[in-house]
This record gives sequence, structure tokens and C-alpha cells, in this order.
Amino acid sequence: MDERYDTVVIGAGLGGLSAAALLARRGHRVLLLERHNVPGGYATSFVRGRFEFEVALHELSGIGTPDRPGPLLKYLDEIGVADQVEFVSLPDFYRSVFPGFSLTLPVGVEAFTETVCAAFPGEEDGIRRFLDRVFGMGREVDNVNQVFGGGVPSPARVAALPWNVRKMLRYGLCTFGEVLDREVRDPLARAVIAQSWGYLGLPPSKIAFPYLAAVLHTFVAGKPAYVRGRSQALSSAFVEAIEAGGGEVRMGCGASAIHVRGGRVVGVRTEEGQEVTARSVVSNADPVTTCRELIGADQVPSRFWTGLRASEPGPASFNVYLGLAKSPDELGLVDHETFINASTDQDEHWRTMDSLRDPQALVMSCYNVCWPGVSPPGTSVVTLTTLQYGEHWHGVAPGEYHATKHRIADSMIRTAEEVVPGLRAAAEVVEASTPVTNMRYVGHQGGAIYGFDQHPWDSHLLRLPNRGPIQGLYFAGAWAMPGGGFEPAMMSGRIAGEMIDAGTKLPWKRGA
Amino acid sequence: MAGELRWLLDDLTRYPRVLRESRARQRPGAGREYAAERDRVRRTVEAIHPDRMRLEVAEVIRETSSTRTLRMRRTDGPLPPFRAGQYVNLFLEIGGVRTSRPYSISSPPGTDHLDLTVRRKPGGFVSPWLVTAVREGDVFESTGPMGTFVVEPLIDEETLVLLGGGSGITPFASMVREAAAAGWPRRIQLLYGCRGPSDVIFGGELRALARGNDRFDLAVVMSDPPPSFRGRRGLLDAARIRKEVGDPSGRTYFMCGPNAMIDLCRGALEELGVPEFKVRRELYGPPDDVTLSPGWPAGLGAATTFAVRLGERVFRAAAGEPLLASMEREGVVVPAVCRSGECSACRTRLLSGDVYVPPNTGVRESDMAHGYVHPCVTYPVSDLVIRL
Repeated sequence: MDERYDTVVIGAGLGGLSAAALLARRGHRVLLLERHNVPGGYATSFVRGRFEFEVALHELSGIGTPDRPGPLLKYLDEIGVADQVEFVSLPDFYRSVFPGFSLTLPVGVEAFTETVCAAFPGEEDGIRRFLDRVFGMGREVDNVNQVFGGGVPSPARVAALPWNVRKMLRYGLCTFGEVLDREVRDPLARAVIAQSWGYLGLPPSKIAFPYLAAVLHTFVAGKPAYVRGRSQALSSAFVEAIEAGGGEVRMGCGASAIHVRGGRVVGVRTEEGQEVTARSVVSNADPVTTCRELIGADQVPSRFWTGLRASEPGPASFNVYLGLAKSPDELGLVDHETFINASTDQDEHWRTMDSLRDPQALVMSCYNVCWPGVSPPGTSVVTLTTLQYGEHWHGVAPGEYHATKHRIADSMIRTAEEVVPGLRAAAEVVEASTPVTNMRYVGHQGGAIYGFDQHPWDSHLLRLPNRGPIQGLYFAGAWAMPGGGFEPAMMSGRIAGEMIDAGTKLPWKRGA
Repeated sequence: MAGELRWLLDDLTRYPRVLRESRARQRPGAGREYAAERDRVRRTVEAIHPDRMRLEVAEVIRETSSTRTLRMRRTDGPLPPFRAGQYVNLFLEIGGVRTSRPYSISSPPGTDHLDLTVRRKPGGFVSPWLVTAVREGDVFESTGPMGTFVVEPLIDEETLVLLGGGSGITPFASMVREAAAAGWPRRIQLLYGCRGPSDVIFGGELRALARGNDRFDLAVVMSDPPPSFRGRRGLLDAARIRKEVGDPSGRTYFMCGPNAMIDLCRGALEELGVPEFKVRRELYGPPDDVTLSPGWPAGLGAATTFAVRLGERVFRAAAGEPLLASMEREGVVVPAVCRSGECSACRTRLLSGDVYVPPNTGVRESDMAHGYVHPCVTYPVSDLVIRL
């Protein structure tokens, strides 16, 4: 049987869900295919015993506050998702722990700046100058959103744009570390300020300045949030919105091929062998798998493969999920998000990520802090997350898999116990996930969580465009614009969806 | 000021520098040739977590009059690694009904085969067939190894107490065999409840492993032995556990067996002051009689049937039977795996109607809110409309 759709979306990760929801809302006939039996990709949860664990979300950006909604919340509202999800705001950005040092960084530009300055009084002037550059650039991003956010912008505002985004232009291709190191000398102060590079996958010396500056700005100025019901509740709300818009969602059924004829996408074959025709396809699978396995490497223009040579899959995650038979009070868990570092040498942390050695840094999340109902009364859940390039797991012999996983998880629990004594003894349930787990459920190259490494040459306008190398093919997800992370993944689906929607509105495309 | 100017210059000249670097990385041989790495991710995943396996029966081993071990070899690839205590879900077609059953692996990790040990359950649908009808050379499809009823060195105590009843010995056989091969890294105390001597599975092997071994204690306890029997009599109750285990603290407990035994052991461990979080239970399917579960609608009989609509078809489903069983009898192919509520492979949309789900079934909170159920442990209590 041959079925016709305007758009087939492959993969129900946040990028795919977002594109499908937007298109369904705009009246397109949409089919969303997902191999796994639950939607969300990494934005999901799993149950072990009496605990339900968050898989991936640590802190969500772009939500803001009820009186000052962030860009993501506005978008979710527009596509009919926001009213089905409840967000809780987090009081702090993160706690940063180094040997002999601990500092909790609050939310709010002034509070954040004052806290860092008070901790490093000798560096105060440099820290202020540097954070001015960071938050100044963040305000520029808000500016751009305002210029383009409300329909056709006035010519005067467009003309003024370069001046209004001068920081972005200036630091566009710098690394965060290059700018930071000029103003701040203390390695500890540098490491504390740049701590959230874990949300992007590259250390300060490598990450594109605008990316880490945007993370700092969006969380500090816009407030971090979490989702009541875990990120699975967000993913399920997307499915509701897609179906409410007349879209069709098929779980447990992926795509096995994207058909191309005459240089453009014409349809998709599902894993169940069904052929469906479509004028466009949004792939939420990684672009390599999309073009190589689903389309066929030789069907794709060779300049696509040439362009990708410079791009490496970014790190995967290694997680240890702990269900604890003690309350957060009993264990002394008071922070939602705690980065624990073996040293201030962030480059060494990154080199360790690029190996199977015991991690040098991890982030510990306790969800009970913002949402006590996340686990039964008298218990708590803690997730330990570190980053690791999945590449190395291709070389682990299957017979060594469990032992390798166990060794790394064990070292992470030991690290966390230095901050939370008694953590291991209180554990009722433990589950570890490796980059192979990511590959298994999401299928990404290297089990990457942030798509391609976000070097300056793979950032912003130089990142893989959402418009694919074949007419009618679009990418959604961390691999393409704008980049990795929960909010960017949803925005990538928005961009892909807007491109398709705009295409059908062009006069010469009408009725095509 | 001079510094700031130099920095500005430095920042702006990044543009040509970064673009040059990017182009350099795109030269042949300089970067990554993705087009040549086809199926790399899939191969790595398949080697560790195959979705499906083809298993050929290499040997049928008679363990007791009612129990057979099906020694399986994989014919479509090497065996994946697994952890002692895990199971595979075996897909079957019996009398025209396509169904599946999870069976614990009784062989230890690291061999070239998987042993599935099956006891004939009187009145059962699948186990009598497996025990009597399966022959060498028969081929089955299964899932890869799954399940979380495993020794967890990250958090487990130095001493493990394994409480097994009847065919519930199978995951423990794997654990004990693995420990023996590894030189007993943890002390194991196995309490094995059976009806009589002829029901003991793996008895000879377990006794041999326990002989003169201070790292492995074995206590086989008979509930209904012949009068001449001179060994341990009774049930796995508090007195028995106390006697065999000694100080019950500082141990991690594992329970696997019939529901009646589990209930008894759970109460016994509570009586002995063992914290609940140190006790693990193997999943063991839906409850024997769901109408006795807490919260079951008063007055609703197990035999009451309701109409279930799935797409075009409508069929009847009994209130007291898991919805999955009714679906399978109707010929609906459901990708069920654990059949105990926890794995979510059979996740199904409930479009309308009311169902009963026993407490602690592993359904995600947001799935509950959005009307998704796991039909393996879901019972209709009104007419239903569902969607796969």
C-alpha cells in the first residue's frame, strides 16, 4: 500500500518531534517514524524497581520565568506543547567542586558575577570585564531574536544589526578559552567560570566562544528549569501535539530507506516494508547514517562527504543512575547540579574523555532538589554523568564490555562519594549506560549527544545546515544548526520545519 | 589599550585562519571518510545487544522428570556477552498462537552456548510443549540477553544470599557457576526450596561445588519429602533463613521462585530486620490471581469479559487475564519481551476505557498520564479501545 504525506520525519528525538509538531500545527500531513517504543531519543526515562530515572536532561534552558518567558517556552506555546508540560525552575546554575574548593553559582547576572568575584577577589577586574563580554554577547543574541522574531523586520533595524551584534562578530570564531585567558589568570577561576563546557562537549580551549557564552547567558540570565515528569513528559507532550494537529506517529517502526529520484526526495520505506511517498523528509537520525545507510553514500553529492571530513562526532555520555534508599536530607544532597573535578586542567579532562581511562570530571544531578516527587518518599535519585568519545568503544571486545563499563562506573561512584559520603551504601538500584547504550537506542555515530564537536569551524553558520544535500531532505537534531543540547535540538527541528513550511508557501510551489 | 587592539586584530583574523583550517581538514586523507564506515555503529551494537538471535537446540538435557535444559547455540553470529541472572525471551508458535516467554539463562557467561532450563508447569501453555516437543536441531528466535536481576558488584554486599524455589534456581545456577569459575569473588549462600528430592535441579553439581567450600554454602530445603528423607525439611521461612544464613545483616538478597515462596521469603526477611532495599526479586510474570491484588475493583470476577477494539478488529478479553494474552490469542503480534511490566516493549496506547494495573508495574509516570499501558500486566475492567 502506498501512502502519501507532505513530510515524513525520521526519528522521534527532540529535533524530529519539534519539526513534526510545527508542521502538523501548520496543517501539513506528517508521518513521524521511530524505531524505539517510546518517543524522545535521549529525552526519555526508564524504570528500575521503584525508581524512574531521567536519562539525559540536567538543566533546561530557554524556559525563563512566567513573567519573562524564554524563547523555547514561547516556541513550545506556539506549537501547542507548553500547556501540557509543567516546568520547575532551579535556584542555582551549578555547584563547582575541585580538590579543596567548592562554590555554588547562583542564577542572575549580578548574583553570578558577584559570587565569582567574591571567590577570586584578586581577579575581580578581569572577571568583570570578561563576564561583560559574555553577557553582552548573550544580549546580542536576544537582540537578533527580537529583530527577526516578529515578522518582517524594518530595514533600519536590519541595517543596524552588524553594530548590534558586534561582540558576536568579533568573537564568532574564537574559542572561549582564548578570550577568557586574556582577562583571568587563576586556573581555578577559569575552570569555575567555564565549568558548564560539559553542556557542550569541548573544553574552553576548543569550544567556540559564542556557544559557551550563550550557555552562560541563557542559564544565568534566563534561569535553568527542569520538567515535572522528567524529559519523557516533554517528549510525550510533543506526541500529543503532533496528533492533535492531525499528524501520525508510529512507534516501534523506523525507516529503512529514503528514496531519491531525479535528485530529490520522493519517499521513505519503513522498517515494516511499507512504501510511503513524501515531498520532504526531515531526518532526526545523524546525517552520516541518513546519507550513508538510508539514502546510499553514492547517491549523495560527493561535496557533502568532503565537507564532513572536517567534522568529528562529539562525545557520548557515560551515566551511572542511582536509586537511593535514603532521603536527600539524610545524604546531604542540597544541589541539583554538582560538577566534580579532579583538577583545574580542563584539557586533561578532555584528553581523558578521548580514551577509556577513568574520568577526571563528572556532574552529579539530584532531581529531588527541584522536584521532591521524582522518587518515593524517603528515597532519592542521583545521576552521575561524564563525557566520553564513543569511538573507543568500537574497539572494546564484547567479552570485555561489562568489565569496562563496571570499572568506569565504579570510579565515578568513588568520585561522587568524596562529595556525598555514604552514597554507595544507600544504593538500592544502580544502572550504568555507556556510549554503546546511546548507539543502541539512538543510533548516533559514536553515541554522540551533542552531534559534531562544536569547534569554531563547526559552529553557527559553519555548522551543517538544516537543508540537506538533496532537495527535499532536511536535518533536525544536534548535528545540524544550531547545535547540541535540549533547547538547540528543539530549535533545529523548528528551523527545518519553518524551511519546509516556507517552501510550500512560495507562489511557484503552490499546488506542487 | 594596545593590548585590546592586538586582541581585536587577533579575533578578526580568526575568520581566515579558521576557514583555512576547516578547508585543510577537508582534504582527502586529512579527515574522516564517513562514506567508508557503513554499518559500523550497528555492528558494535549488535555484537553487544543483538535485537534478535537465532538459537539452535544443540542438546536436550534431562535434569529431572519434569525439567529439561535446552542447550542452545547461536547460528547467526557469536553469542553476545551477558550477565549471570539475565534472560532471553524465546519467540514461539504453538497451535497457531504466536507468543513468547522469558527464560533465565542457567549457564554462566563465557561459554559457547546458552542453557535455558525449563520445568513443565502443570496446566501451562508453553512449558509443557518446550519440555516434551523440542528436539535437537530445532531453531528458535529470541531476543538478546536482557534483565536486571544480576549480581551488581557496584553496590552489592560481600555476601549474597540466593533464595530460590523450584525452577527459580535457573538464574542462580548461572550466578553460582560464574562465581565458581571466577574463584568465588563474593561469598554465596544458596537456599533452595523444593518439594521433594526428585524436584531438585542441578543438585549434584551444586553439592559438589559446596563441598569443603567456605565461599559457597548450599541448603536444599524440602517442603514435602518422603518420610525417609533425612535432610532439611520445611519452607524458606524466617527460622530457616536465620539458621542457614547466620547474621542476616551485611548481605544482599536475591529471590526467585513461585509467588507463594516470594511472599513467604519477603515476610521472613522483614521479620529478620533485613532492609527492603537489600532484597532483589526476579521478575516473575503477572500475578497468579490478579483479583487478589490491592485495588482490584470490588466484585469484578476474573471471568468477566469486555470488548476490546484494536483498529478494525474487536475481540473479547477476560478481566482476570493480562490484556497481552487476549491480544496474542486474537493473532495480534505484540513485540513483548519481559512479560512482567518492566521493559515497556509491549507499550500500547489506551484510547478509551478503564484498566487495572497492579502497583509497582514499571510504567513511566508520563505514560500513565498520557494513556499508555504495558498490556503484559494490564487488565481490562471495561470495554477498551487500544492502538499499537
